[in-house]
Amino acid sequence: MSTTSTSEEVKDNTSREDEGDAPNTKDEDKSNENLLECNICLDTAKDAVVSLCGHLFCWPCLHQWLETRPNRPVCPVCKAAISREKVVPLYGRGSKKQEDPRNKVPPRPAGQRTEPDNNFSGFGFGDGGFHMSFGIGAFPFGFFTSTFNFGEPRPNMPPHGTPQNMEEQFLSKVFLWLALIFIAWLLLA
Amino acid sequence: MANIAAQRIKREFKEVIKSEEVAKCAIKLELVDDNYTELRGEIAGPPDTAYEGGNFLLEIKVPETYPFNPPKVRFMTRIWHPNISSVTGAICLDILKDQWAAAMTLRTVLLSLQALLSAAEPDDPQDAVVARQYKENLEMFKLTARHWTNVYAGGPNVNPECDEKIKRLIDMGIEEHQARVALSSYNWDLERATEQLFS
Ligand SMILES: [Zn+2]
Ligand SMILES: [Zn+2]
Repeated sequence: MSTTSTSEEVKDNTSREDEGDAPNTKDEDKSNENLLECNICLDTAKDAVVSLCGHLFCWPCLHQWLETRPNRPVCPVCKAAISREKVVPLYGRGSKKQEDPRNKVPPRPAGQRTEPDNNFSGFGFGDGGFHMSFGIGAFPFGFFTSTFNFGEPRPNMPPHGTPQNMEEQFLSKVFLWLALIFIAWLLLA
Repeated sequence: MANIAAQRIKREFKEVIKSEEVAKCAIKLELVDDNYTELRGEIAGPPDTAYEGGNFLLEIKVPETYPFNPPKVRFMTRIWHPNISSVTGAICLDILKDQWAAAMTLRTVLLSLQALLSAAEPDDPQDAVVARQYKENLEMFKLTARHWTNVYAGGPNVNPECDEKIKRLIDMGIEEHQARVALSSYNWDLERATEQLFS
């Protein structure tokens, strides 16, 4: 999405090439596999969500953890504050073919833009680099869009929670702002 | 639900077996039943502590709601420690209670218990008698913990003085462990221990 992520990908590729036929290529593959494991069931994450502190879970697993301790919602890995509203669902490339996980029980929260203060408190908990990959464009623009607190205009997101007419009203404003920001970005870049 | 518990323990078990702590003989994990609901843990007493050289067995019971709730762990090997009951082996450790987190594993539990042996917290005691001794007479506490480690956990430090006093009480018809508890509780004061036992 953002330019940062592409440059990171390029870096990753070169570093892998640098290692070449080193004997630890297999180990690296293995650790990459572990990266996609849910921190609760230790299996490959299903209906994956990520906390603001960057920890990956199956949504059903995390949901059950939050249900088990409703008055102390903390990340099961790093104990940072966590909540149903502050997790980001991950949609892989093939996810369209699958059943919408939010129709399942328990429903997975929809992707959304968080309010600015939430956004910044999140920086306290760990690697900030993670947040960059979710922003649209560069950092200051991501800040502008998030100040308006609109639902993210995800094409595959069904109307969920918010009234339809309000969402339409918001969307038109969002697109206007996105257009302005895009022009500004082009001028600066 | 029980399914996720068993599956997770299976994975954890495989990981622990391969861990470097097992290679260094610092921790051990064994299955007690085939359902993965009960396990036997073992931790080595940390170096430079009164528990050095001892091996401590732990009873680990995995609840059906694991990993959303912590495993139930207790010392099977008798131990003299402020946060562990000298009677039942019950453990006072926050991560086994309200500070448990679902991403913790049996490996992290065993390592935390080992850390607890290195750093007691007498202000949050499980065994009030031991905690008081720890705070009022640390040298006496170390001597007693070392003696218990020698007798119950196979530690190397024999203390002939302690053994002699226990023998005196055994000669009076007191059971060995009961004699050891009385002497340990009264800072190895034979007179006061005798008084308490016969009162
Ligand atoms: Zn999971
Ligand atoms: Zn976390």
